[in-house]
Amino acid sequence: MPKITVDGKNIECKDRTNILQACLDAGLERPYYCYHPGLSVVASCRICLCEVEGIPKLVPSCQTQVRDGMVVHFNSSKAVANQKQTMEYLLVNHPLDCPVCDQAGECLLQDYSYEYGRAQSRFEEDKAKKPKKDVGLNVLLYSDRCIMCTRCVRFTREVSGTSELYVDGRGHKEEIDIFPGKPLNNKLSGNVVDLCPVGALLDKDFLFQQRVWLLKRTPSISPVDAGGENIYLEWNDGKIYRTKPRYNSGVNKWWISDDTRYAYKAVNAPNRLRQAMKTELGMPTACSFNDAAETAVAKLKQIVVDHGQGSLYAVLSPMMPCEEAHLLGTLIRSIDPQATLVLGPVPRGDDDVFMNYLDGSETFRIQGEKVPNRRGVERVMQILGGKTVDFATFIASTSGATKAGWIAGGYLSDWIGTELPAPLKGGFKVVQDILPNELTRNADVLLPGAAWAEKAGCWENYQGAMQAFDAAVPPPEGARVEGKVFHKLLGRSGMYDAAAVRVSLGEPFVQAVLPTEVEMAGEPAFEFVEL
Amino acid sequence: MAFPEPVLTKRIPLNPADRKKVWYNDYVATGGYKQLRAALDMSGQDIIKTVTDSGLRGRGGAGFSAGQKWSFIPKEKKTTHYLAVNADESEPGTFKDRHLMEWDPHQMLEGIAIACLATQCDIAYVFIRGEFHHGTKVVEQAIKEAYHHGIFGNNVMGTGKKIDCYVHRGAGAYICGEETGMLEAIEGKRGWPRNKPPFPAIAGVFGRPTVINNVETLCCVPHIMERGPAWFKTMGTPSSPGPKLYGMSGHLNRPGVYEHELGITLQQSIDMAGGMKGGAFKGAICGGISMGVLAQHQLDVKLDFDDVRFRGGCLGLGTAGMIVMNEHTNMVRALRNCVRFYAHESCGQCTPCREGSAWMKKILDRIVDGYGKARDLEMLLELEKTMGSMPGTTICGLADGTAWATRTFINKYYDEFAAACPEETTKRVSLPISRGNREVATPMGSNTR
Ligand SMILES: Cc1cc2nc3c(=O)[nH]c(=O)nc-3n(C[C@H](O)[C@H](O)[C@H](O)COP(=O)(O)O)c2cc1C
Ligand code: SF4
Ligand code: SF4
Ligand code: FES
Repeated sequence: MPKITVDGKNIECKDRTNILQACLDAGLERPYYCYHPGLSVVASCRICLCEVEGIPKLVPSCQTQVRDGMVVHFNSSKAVANQKQTMEYLLVNHPLDCPVCDQAGECLLQDYSYEYGRAQSRFEEDKAKKPKKDVGLNVLLYSDRCIMCTRCVRFTREVSGTSELYVDGRGHKEEIDIFPGKPLNNKLSGNVVDLCPVGALLDKDFLFQQRVWLLKRTPSISPVDAGGENIYLEWNDGKIYRTKPRYNSGVNKWWISDDTRYAYKAVNAPNRLRQAMKTELGMPTACSFNDAAETAVAKLKQIVVDHGQGSLYAVLSPMMPCEEAHLLGTLIRSIDPQATLVLGPVPRGDDDVFMNYLDGSETFRIQGEKVPNRRGVERVMQILGGKTVDFATFIASTSGATKAGWIAGGYLSDWIGTELPAPLKGGFKVVQDILPNELTRNADVLLPGAAWAEKAGCWENYQGAMQAFDAAVPPPEGARVEGKVFHKLLGRSGMYDAAAVRVSLGEPFVQAVLPTEVEMAGEPAFEFVEL
Repeated sequence: MAFPEPVLTKRIPLNPADRKKVWYNDYVATGGYKQLRAALDMSGQDIIKTVTDSGLRGRGGAGFSAGQKWSFIPKEKKTTHYLAVNADESEPGTFKDRHLMEWDPHQMLEGIAIACLATQCDIAYVFIRGEFHHGTKVVEQAIKEAYHHGIFGNNVMGTGKKIDCYVHRGAGAYICGEETGMLEAIEGKRGWPRNKPPFPAIAGVFGRPTVINNVETLCCVPHIMERGPAWFKTMGTPSSPGPKLYGMSGHLNRPGVYEHELGITLQQSIDMAGGMKGGAFKGAICGGISMGVLAQHQLDVKLDFDDVRFRGGCLGLGTAGMIVMNEHTNMVRALRNCVRFYAHESCGQCTPCREGSAWMKKILDRIVDGYGKARDLEMLLELEKTMGSMPGTTICGLADGTAWATRTFINKYYDEFAAACPEETTKRVSLPISRGNREVATPMGSNTR
C-alpha cells in the first residue's frame, strides 16, 4: 500500500490507483470534472492538475498513478492558479442560468465556482450560443451548459456500448450530439443525466419539477428486476420526484436501468387503491380498513371450520419483502395449519447485456427476471415448510381443494390479465394490492396495500445478496403497509418493525442492512441541504 | 560550416521549370535505394547509432534527436512495431514536406524503409494531410512502385524481411499533426491528442510501440547512411547539424522552398528568397506561427533549433516555414489571423485551450474592429500565460503555440498594439452587447472599421 502526502496530510492508497481517486477514497475533496471512476480517464478538463514534488510540470491527478512517498500539492500557488483559471475558462461561455437550471444545487460548476471562481466575470465578449436538443426519449441536452467533459460520450461507448453520443465540431464550437436518426434510447440512457457534472443533460421526467435542495433521499432497491440495483429515492412532501443510483461495487456499480429509474411512477399513480372494500349482500361495499381486515380473518376461520384444514391458500408475491412474506405465511398457517403457500407469478424475459464497444467485455446486465424477490420469498416458504407450490402449478390444479385464500400482489403493473385463472375465479378471496386489476375488482375483501417505496424490508437479488430498503414516503391515505396489517392480525404487541422481524428470521436475512448516514455521505453523490 | 550542394533537393531543381517527378527508375538511376541495401546488412542498433551520431534532430517542429527517439523503442520485439510518418503538414507557413513528397517521394520511402529496419517496425503509415490530393496520389503511386520492386512487402530486396507501408489520409485537421492526435486518427478515431505518459514509443498506435517522424527527418536518413555522420555535421551548427528546407513565403520576391544548412541568419534566408518585396522588413514568423515572431532588429538571429529560442525569444525553429512581413503589415491583424487559426483548430479537449483560444480571438476581433481597450492587452497576456506557458496545463502543444504567437507579437510590437488599444477615458461607454449593434459611440470616438 503506497503512502502519499497530499497538502500535508499523509494518506494510504490502494496500489495502482491515481492521485485523485486516492484523495477521494481518503475523504479529501479535490476538484474534478471529467474523471469518473467508472469510465476511462481522458484528463481533459484540467481542473484537477496538481503539483508533484520532483516533477516540474503540473500533472493531472486523475491520470497520474500514485507512487510511494509522493508529495502532492493541490494548494500550491501554481495549482491554485490553474484551478482559478480553469474555472474562469469554463464559465466564459456558460449561460449562468442557474435560477432555471435543474442541476442548480448539485452542480459541480456551482460548487467549484464558490471555491475557486472569481466573483466578477472579465469576459466582455458575446457568449457562444448553443441550442437545446432533444436527444432521446428520456433525455434533453442543453448544449450551452455543457463543459465538454465527455463523460456522457464515454458512458455510451464504454458502458452501454451503444455509442449514440459523440462530439460534433471542434474547439469552442464543439457540441455533444447524437447521430442522425439514432437517438439516445438505450435502456441505460438515464445514467448520462447522473453523470453530467453540470445541467447540460437533463431528465425530461424531472424537468422543472423540484429544486434539488428541497429533496430528501432514502436508500432503496430497484423493484423492477432481480438485479437488485441500489438506488436512492428522492422525495419531498410525501411525493417521490426521482430515482438516483446508489453505488454498490458488487451489484450495480454506479448505474441503474431506466426501468428502475422510472419505477417510482407506479407509486405516484393516480389510480392507486385507497379504499378498503368488503362484500356485503353480494355487493362490494366500502368499509374501514380494520373492518375489512377483521372480516377477512373471521371469514377465513369460518371456511376452515366448514371445509376442514387444507382449504386455504395464500399467494406470496415476489414483490413482497421477505419479512411480510413470512408474516403472511405465518398468519395463514395460524388459521389453517395445512394452508398452501403459493409463490406469485414470476415474469421472465431475456437478460439485456451491455458491452464495452471496444473490447466487448460485459459492463452491465439487466436481469430478465422481472421481479425483485423470487429467491427471498422461496427462502421464506422453505422456512415455513408445509405445502408450497409455484403459481403455474397452482392455477393449473383442478382438484378444487382450496376454497379460499389471501392474495398479495404489489406488482407495479397489471399482473393477472383480463381472465382470472380457474382456481382464483370462485371461492372467497382476500386481495391486497396497490393498483386496480381484474382480481381487485372481483375480491371479496380488498385491502389497499403499500408500494415498495412506502415500506421497509429486504429483498434477495439474483446473486443471493440480501438487501434492505427503507420507506421513503407514506402510503396513500386509506392504504396500509402490509407488514403492519399482518402484525396486528397476528396479535403481536408493539409496533411493526421490519428490522426486528429480520432479526427473528436469522441468517441470511439479517445480512440486509441499510447504509449508515456516514456511508451515504461518503459516496460520490452530492450532499443535500434541507431547508 | 558550409553548404556546397543541395542534399534533400538534389533531385529537385530550384527552377520550377526544370522539375520532373522522380519515379522509381530515376531514383535508382541516381543512386537511390543503395542505402537501404546497405542497411539490410546492418543491425538495427548500428543504424540507430549512425543516426544518433549524426545529431539529426526532428524536422517536424520539436527538434528532438531522431536517433534517440528510435532508441526508446523496445529492443526486444514482443509485438508489432509501427512507424507513423507525419505528413500532416498543416502548420501555417509550412510547405516543405509537400515539396519533398510531390517531387521525390522515393527519398522518403527509402528513409521509411531504413527507419523500419532500425526499429524493427513491421508497418509504416504515412499520414498525409487531407488537402494534399496531388501529394497523396504521388506517394500512393510511389508506394505501388516500391512494392512492385520489392522495396516493401514480404521480401524486402530479397532478404525475407517484411515491411508494409500504407497511406492514411487525414481529413483536414491541424491537430492530427500532433503526434498522438495522429495516432488516434490512424486508429480511426477523432484526432484528440493523448495524455503522455504512456509515450508512443511504448504504447502508440493500437497500443503498440510506435516511432513517429516527420517526412523531412526521414528524408535525411538515406543521406546520413550514405555519407556518414561526420559529413552530416559539416553542415549546420554543432547543436543543429544538417541541411534544412526553408519554406519562404510572405512579402518576398521569390517565395518558395529553399534548401540550405541550418543556422543561416534570418537576413540570409530572406536574401535567398530574392529579398523583401514592397517595403522594408518588419517581422518574420519563424517556423510556422506556433513558434512566434522575430522582430525588426532580429535579422541576425541564426535559424537553428537553439538560437531562435535563446536569442530570438521564440519557442523554437519549428518547421522553418517562414512568413516574412514588410513594414506595411498590420501586426494586430496578423496576430488576429494567427489566433483565429488556433481557435478554429483547437481540438476542444482541454478547457484552457478550447475556451482560451476562442476568448483571445474574440478580444482580438474587437481590437481589430476598433474597440480595443488598454486592459485588453493585459488580459491577452494573462490568458496567454495560463493557456500554454504554464507547463502541463494542456494535453498537447497547440495551446503553447497560441501562447507563443500571442506573447511574441504583443511584446515585440507593443506600441502598435497599444495604439490599437487606447487608454480608457472617463467617457468610457460600456461595450455593445451584441455584435450586430456596433453603432454605439466608442472610446475612440467613432467607429473605425
Ligand atoms: C499542434 C501540433 C501540430 C503539429 N503538426 C505537425 C505536422 O503537421 N507535421 C509534423 O511533422 N509535425 C507536427 N507536429 C510535431 C509532432 O508532434 C511531432 O513532434 C513530430 O511529428 C515528430 O517528428 P520529428 O521528431 O521527426 O520532428 C505538431 C505538433 C503539434 C503540437
Ligand atoms: S453533456 Fe454533460 S456529461 Fe456530456 S460532455 Fe457535456 S458536461 Fe459532460
Ligand atoms: S491543447 Fe488544445 S489542441 Fe491540444 S489537446 Fe488540448 S484542446 Fe486539444
Ligand atoms: S478530472 Fe483530471 S483533468 Fe479532468
